[in-house]
Amino acid sequence: MGTGFDFDYEHCTECQRCMIACSVAKEGHVFLRRSRISIVRGWPELPEIRVCRFDDCAGHPCVEACPVGAITSEGGLVLIDAETCTGCEACVGVCPSTAITMMEGIAQKCDFCGGAPECVSACGTLAITRKGA
Amino acid sequence: MASSAHDLLLRIDCTSKKVSTMKVDAALKAYVGGMGYGTKILVDEVDPAVDPLSPANKLILAVGPLTGTAAPMFAQSCIVTKSPLSGTILNCYAGGFLGAEIKFAGIDGLILEGQAPDWSLILVDDGRVSFHDAGPVMGRGTSETEAYMRASFGRDVRTLSIGRAGEKLVAMASVFTETRTFGRGGAGAVLGSKRIKGMAFRGSKGLDVVDRVAFSAAVAKNLEIIRSACAEQYNLLGMFSRVGTGAGVGLVNGKQVLATKNHLLGTWAEAAKIDGFSYAKNFYTRPVACYGCPVHCGMLHKFRKPEGGESWLRGPEYETMYSLGTALLNADPVTLAEANQVCEEYGMDTLTTGVTVALAFEMAEKGLVREPGLSLAFGDRASILELLRKIGEREGLGGILADGPKKAAERVGGGALSYAMQIKNSGFAAWMPTRMKGVALSFATSNRGACHKRAPIGAEITGQVDMDSKVGKAEMVKGIQDLVNASFTLVACRFHEFVSPHSLYVELLAAATGQTLSLDEFALLGERIWNLERLFNQGAGFTRSDDNLPDRCFEPMEGEAAGGPIISREDLSDMLDEYYALRGWTSEGVPTKATRERLGI
Repeated sequence: MGTGFDFDYEHCTECQRCMIACSVAKEGHVFLRRSRISIVRGWPELPEIRVCRFDDCAGHPCVEACPVGAITSEGGLVLIDAETCTGCEACVGVCPSTAITMMEGIAQKCDFCGGAPECVSACGTLAITRKGA
Repeated sequence: MASSAHDLLLRIDCTSKKVSTMKVDAALKAYVGGMGYGTKILVDEVDPAVDPLSPANKLILAVGPLTGTAAPMFAQSCIVTKSPLSGTILNCYAGGFLGAEIKFAGIDGLILEGQAPDWSLILVDDGRVSFHDAGPVMGRGTSETEAYMRASFGRDVRTLSIGRAGEKLVAMASVFTETRTFGRGGAGAVLGSKRIKGMAFRGSKGLDVVDRVAFSAAVAKNLEIIRSACAEQYNLLGMFSRVGTGAGVGLVNGKQVLATKNHLLGTWAEAAKIDGFSYAKNFYTRPVACYGCPVHCGMLHKFRKPEGGESWLRGPEYETMYSLGTALLNADPVTLAEANQVCEEYGMDTLTTGVTVALAFEMAEKGLVREPGLSLAFGDRASILELLRKIGEREGLGGILADGPKKAAERVGGGALSYAMQIKNSGFAAWMPTRMKGVALSFATSNRGACHKRAPIGAEITGQVDMDSKVGKAEMVKGIQDLVNASFTLVACRFHEFVSPHSLYVELLAAATGQTLSLDEFALLGERIWNLERLFNQGAGFTRSDDNLPDRCFEPMEGEAAGGPIISREDLSDMLDEYYALRGWTSEGVPTKATRERLGI
């Protein structure tokens, strides 16, 4: 299994359990605005899922865009170092997945939960699974 | 760690556009939230005799302590007001994402008072309230109104709105939130009377609980129960999960209690064309959920209109398959979807509106009413769609129907009242009191009229108890009414307790807020609220004689179900006597002093 997700948009019910689980894991409690994954309704069309694509992101433009080298990619695992981030927002606009948001002046995104993403465990319909799982 | 209840409500005076906050005190806190808060506040602050559409009526929008948390199936929000349809106290519910957003905005709800000097939209932005001109969306449907609010206030707001029916004070006007509906009782007309076309909420805050470890454990346990149920082929929740609430049509048809053709028939072979399985098989279907819900009973369908062009609908729900389907002898799934859409855009309750159209068709059959250009024949597509529109516009015959089935039948006369399927002017939900005696007693005694949310439907339809027997029904109905009222303080989805034990409610509540209730206290809370409602309705002029059923319920059905046993007036009277006694009410249905003291009201 690589670093990244497989999506089955037809099976996303937009329940937001992924966002609930993500925010509980990262913030300690439900905090949807700080979830690193976001489900955006597009009725009657399928939803947009905003989260880092890791392996599946072509060229990782956020890494290129960061002027201080705060964003790194090792074997597809793209991470932002909060200590190094200056909050310039250069990465936010270039992300093709709209997966980076500013939180208290620091760029934040999915960190793949150390290899066992909470959103994947929380999804009851397998709309989001680990890549290749 | 902080409580998931904010103990804070907003009081919005539409007349002066002044806003104040209301801290939840201990007396109100005892009512937990949702329906409890709404009922207590309305009863304390509004004269039961008030005209529901006058500025003196209030509308309370409240969520519960578990709304917005990680606990599943607590997505709904509650509106309590005095109903312009029934004249009783009203509580109604809508799922979706509105409730969670209200919590993320830092409040447990709000009280709307007065009447705005001009048509307004209200934005509640993290608890800050502002009024905005509704001019650009006046006369528009609910979806356009919601789209306008998102364009004006930001894509991330969650909204509620009324359509033209609410603007025109149609008695069964409802309030919509992204295709979910505060359906029953005309809350949309109350909002219209206050000249509030819509509201938008933005909540950017987090929501904690007092005991994260215990809460997470309770949530995990609950999720497991629900997911297991959904995985079972013949579990009702499982069927809802796969095809939506319309899964049950076949079962009810088989039991000969599928309300058809204005409750004349109890079975209909054509019904299989418009049930949940049929929609799932014949139309593009995608299950969509309310906030945090693993059941995802909402079904988004796409269909092609006869005139051409693709359209979509989230629904129809089970109750609408009856009210705009079987009740009207309409077996065309596309006509049903379109009828549902008309109700959605005009902002009308599909139940009471459909029941009223069925009444109109039967009145037309008997030569009592007519409408130029329409056959008003059962099953006629053009008549269904056009009459719905006319109700929403208060136009022609629609103007008579727009005040609800009882008032329309009284106005038309000619014996129409005997087959107006309503109680307290509120249209029947999809069940037949003619056969199901527990449902009969529930409908007759409901504080909001012909309500199915607190009826022993599951027990009677699945055969756990004999639907034709009156034995034990009074106790059963009282128990359900009390417990459902209690669960609506949280605000739990009505389907939650299909599989989850009530012990989980108090467990989740304690872990989330620190508020501890025993199961007995929980049921007593429901009973207290039920009695508060009853006293309010008594003040509004309701008596035992209003706890009744229309004549049709006491007459044999036609068609295949014709030979079945039916309820008699004596049966109903006996059950009422027993029920009143169990409740500690007089034989006239008035809570005694001793009962009021026992309940502390």
